[in-house]
Amino acid sequence: MIAAPRTPARHPAPAAALPSIPALACAVALALLPAASCTPSSTPGADVLYLYTWNNYISDETAKRFEEWCGCTLKQDYYSDNEEMLAKLDAGAVGYDLLVPTGNAVETLIRQDALRPIDKALLPHFANLKPEYVDQWFDPGNRYSVPYAYTVTLIGYNEDRMRDLGLPTDTWALIFDPRYLQKIRGRVTVLNSQRELMAAAMIYLGRSPQSTDPADWEAARDVILHARPYWATFSNSTYIKDLAVGNIWVAHGYSSDMFRAREDAKDAGRPFTIGFTTPKEGAVLALDSFVLHKAGRRPDLAHRFIDFMLDGANAADVSNLIGAGNPNVAAQESIRPDIAGDPAIFPPPEQVQKMVMLRDFEPHLRRVLSRLWTEIKVR
Amino acid sequence: MTDRHRRTSGTPRSERAVKWFVTLPPSVYLVAFFLLPSLIMVAASFRTPGAFGGLEPLRAPDGSLQLSADTYRFLFGDWIYLEIVGKSILVAAVTTLLCLLLSYPLALLIAKSPRRHRDFLVLLVVLPFAANFLIRVYAWILMLGPMNVLYSPVAVIVGMVYVHLPFMILPLYTNLEKHDPALLEAAQDLGAPRWTRFWRVTWPLSLPGVWSGTALVFIPVLGMFAIPELMGGTGDILIGNLIKEQFLDNRDWPLGSALSLVLTAVVLVLAGGAVLAGRRRRRLAKGGA
Repeated sequence: MIAAPRTPARHPAPAAALPSIPALACAVALALLPAASCTPSSTPGADVLYLYTWNNYISDETAKRFEEWCGCTLKQDYYSDNEEMLAKLDAGAVGYDLLVPTGNAVETLIRQDALRPIDKALLPHFANLKPEYVDQWFDPGNRYSVPYAYTVTLIGYNEDRMRDLGLPTDTWALIFDPRYLQKIRGRVTVLNSQRELMAAAMIYLGRSPQSTDPADWEAARDVILHARPYWATFSNSTYIKDLAVGNIWVAHGYSSDMFRAREDAKDAGRPFTIGFTTPKEGAVLALDSFVLHKAGRRPDLAHRFIDFMLDGANAADVSNLIGAGNPNVAAQESIRPDIAGDPAIFPPPEQVQKMVMLRDFEPHLRRVLSRLWTEIKVR
Repeated sequence: MTDRHRRTSGTPRSERAVKWFVTLPPSVYLVAFFLLPSLIMVAASFRTPGAFGGLEPLRAPDGSLQLSADTYRFLFGDWIYLEIVGKSILVAAVTTLLCLLLSYPLALLIAKSPRRHRDFLVLLVVLPFAANFLIRVYAWILMLGPMNVLYSPVAVIVGMVYVHLPFMILPLYTNLEKHDPALLEAAQDLGAPRWTRFWRVTWPLSLPGVWSGTALVFIPVLGMFAIPELMGGTGDILIGNLIKEQFLDNRDWPLGSALSLVLTAVVLVLAGGAVLAGRRRRRLAKGGA
C-alpha cells in the first residue's frame, strides 16, 4: 500500500533520536535543555521501552499512566507513513521494541522475518478484541500482531456548502462524477496515493481494488482522468487544514484526519462544520497493529505495554484523542458517546462487510501501476 | 603576481603537503557520501526490485546473476518519464531566471549602501532561514489559498522562487561588493552613460556571481519535491516527486535509482556545458583584446 500519512507533517517529529545511541542523544538533550529528564535512560539497565509509532497515536496521558503503572520509561519515535518506517528499518535501525504498522506492512515485516512472535500467555486482555478484527489475512492466528486501531479512507466535506449545493455526501460519485464535480470545481482534493485513489475508483466502479486485471485498472484510470480537471490537487496532508480553513469543500482522506479537521474547525469557531461519511459503495479500511521488532531489547516490557493498551479504559484513548476506530470491546463504554455513535468512525456491521484492506502487489505489477499513476499526473 | 611570488619562495613539497591536507577531508567526504552512493545507485538500477521492497538477491536460487537493463528499457520505453525531466528543467530555468531578475537589483542596492548598513541588510536576507522551511511553505499555502492561485504551476513557481531567493542574492552580493568603484568612475569620465556603464563594466564583472547563484538555485530546484507536492496542482509533478515516489510509496529501488541517475546526468551535462561555454567566451574575449 501507498503512504498513509495521518498528520499534516510529512516529516518525522524532530524528537527522533536513535534509540541505539540513547546515551549520546541524552548528552545532546542535556546540553540543550538542562532540565531534560534523561537520567533514567542513561543509567545502564534502566527499564526503557522504545516505541516507533504514528505521530499523535498515543496520548501523553496514556503514556504517563503506563509509565506509572509499570515503573518504566516509554520513549517514542514517530513516522508519518508505513513506507517511512519500513525504509528506516530496512536501513538498519535497531532498538525499537514495538511498531504499529498497517496490515500490509505487517505482512511485509513477517515476510522479511523482522518480527518476534507474540506470547499470548502474557496478554490476559487479548480476549477484549472484537472477533472481526483478529485472525486477519496478514497474520493468521495473530502470531505476531495485536490490533490497536483502524481508520477508514472516506470523504470529508464542508457540511454547509454541500447542503447549499444539494450534493450527496454518501457516494464516491461526489469525487468522480463530473455531474456533481462541476458544482465544486477546484474545491476538491484527493489522496496523493496511487493505491488509495485507484482503490476508491475501483470501488466506485463496483470492482475489487485487489484485481490484477489490467482492464479494471484502465477503467479506473479513465474515471480518474475524467474527474481530474475538477480537482484542486492530490493531497496527503494539507487537506486537513484546507478543510478546516474553508479553502477546500470536499476531500478524499482518512477518517482520523477528517475528525481532526472537524475539531479544528470547531475550535477555530468557523462559520461552517466539517462532516465525513463512508460512501455506500464501500471503502478501504486500514487496521494498525502492535508488533514486536526482532531487534528490540525488551520484549518483556513490550508485552506489558500491549496488555496495558488492551485494557478497555486505555484502549479508549485512541478513539477519544484522534477519532480512530477501535477493535476493543471493553473500550466501548469509555469512548465519548458522540464518537462511539459516529458511523464514519465505528462503521456498522453491514458496512464493515464492504470494507477492503489493501494488500501489496508483486514488483512487476507495482511498476506497471506506478507508470499508470505517472500518466494520470502528467496528462 | 601573488602566484609567481608564492611559486618562487615556498618549497614545493611542503606546499603540496598543505594542499593535500586542506583538500583531503572534503574529498574523502565527497567520495564517501556522493561518489559511493552514486555507484551503489548505478548497481541498484541494474538489479530487480524485491517482492517486499529493497532488491532481489544478486544471485538467483540457481546461481545465475540477476542483472538486466530492464529498468532502463522501461524508463526510456516511452516519453512519459522524459517529459517530466523536461518539465523539471523548465521549472528550474524559470525559477532561476526570476530569482536572478529579483535578486540582481537588490544585491546591487545592498552592495552600494553604506558599509555600516550592509551586514544588517544581509542579515535580513538570511532571516527567513530562522523559521523551518515547511512552516514557511504552509504560510504561503494560507496566503495563496484565498487568492485562488494555490495548487497551480504559478503557486509552485512562487514557492520555489521564495525559498531559493537568498541563494541567488548572497553570491551576487559578495561579488558586487568587491567591485572597484574607480572602474565606474573611469567609465563615467570617458563619457559612458549609466546604462553602458552597467552593461560594459558591472555586468561582465558580476558574471561569476551570476553563475554561482544560478548553480545554487537551478540544481536544488531540479530535485525539489516538497514544494510541488504541497503547493502544486493535479499536474504539477516533477522529477523529484517521481523519485521519492519510487523509493517510498512504490518501493521500486531500481527505477528510483535509474531516475536519480538521469537527474544527476542532466545536472552534470548542463554544468559541464556552462563551464565549456564560459571557457570559450573567455578565450574569445582574450583573442579579441
